[in-house]
Amino acid sequence: MAKKARTLPDGELNMTPMIDIVFQLIIFFVVTADMANKANDTLVSMAMAPNGAVEEQQDPRTVTVDVDKKGKISIAKVDLSEGQLLTILNKARKESGQGTPVVIRGDEKAEHESIRRVMDICGKAGLWKLRFAALKEKA
Amino acid sequence: MAKKRRKISAPEGVLEMTPMIDVCFQLLIYFVVTIHPVDVVTNLDVFRPAPDKSAPPSDKPPQMIRVGVLKDGYTLNDRVASTTELERKFQQFASVDASQTIMFTVSAYSTHGQLVKVLNLCSKYGLKSLSIVSASN
Repeated sequence: MAKKARTLPDGELNMTPMIDIVFQLIIFFVVTADMANKANDTLVSMAMAPNGAVEEQQDPRTVTVDVDKKGKISIAKVDLSEGQLLTILNKARKESGQGTPVVIRGDEKAEHESIRRVMDICGKAGLWKLRFAALKEKA
Repeated sequence: MAKKRRKISAPEGVLEMTPMIDVCFQLLIYFVVTIHPVDVVTNLDVFRPAPDKSAPPSDKPPQMIRVGVLKDGYTLNDRVASTTELERKFQQFASVDASQTIMFTVSAYSTHGQLVKVLNLCSKYGLKSLSIVSASN
């Protein structure tokens, strides 16, 4: 016996597929919007500085260099040698000028020797505007 | 005798809420599990003086506030100091002149966390002119 197709009463709009699509879109945007934050999400455990100032807007030229507790240098999760970092910073200076800020996100357990290496490279590249990133509030 | 089947249907004009609530709970669980709160990050500005090669070498240290960051503690003008003492001094310096330069000589073997700790104290009292010199020992 042939089954009767389910039909909605005349004039009634089926909302279910529309709601499904809206939820799918919400999930998509929430997941993709978080990607920008995840680029900086490394294994660097920063020291606390509750008295530091919070910037509303960061200089778009800012170069953020991570230094983990073993002294490994990376930018956006990409490990770099000292030579590669120098090349990147030289390029940043040529493109954005000497006022390009460099933020060093050092692990609180990293020896200053590793931080010094990064500062020296910044100096070699002609970038003197250095900043240390720290945690104002832990989530 | 064939039984007559009665069609079960929601009364006319009533929206079926059960699937919507199901989906809402699914979403709630998804967001609770996946979303992690973001840390608030601050930036501590420092100045790194370039070595002046034309200047003659001098044994006498320049007249400024000198803070040493060592592996096992801090010094203030070459005298061992605790963080409480440093904080008190920074407060004093800031009340006199917040624009005066503080030079940090950081030992290569000290941790970065120690340096951030004193920079945080300077930030607390509005001391902004901070120079960092790295020591090799």
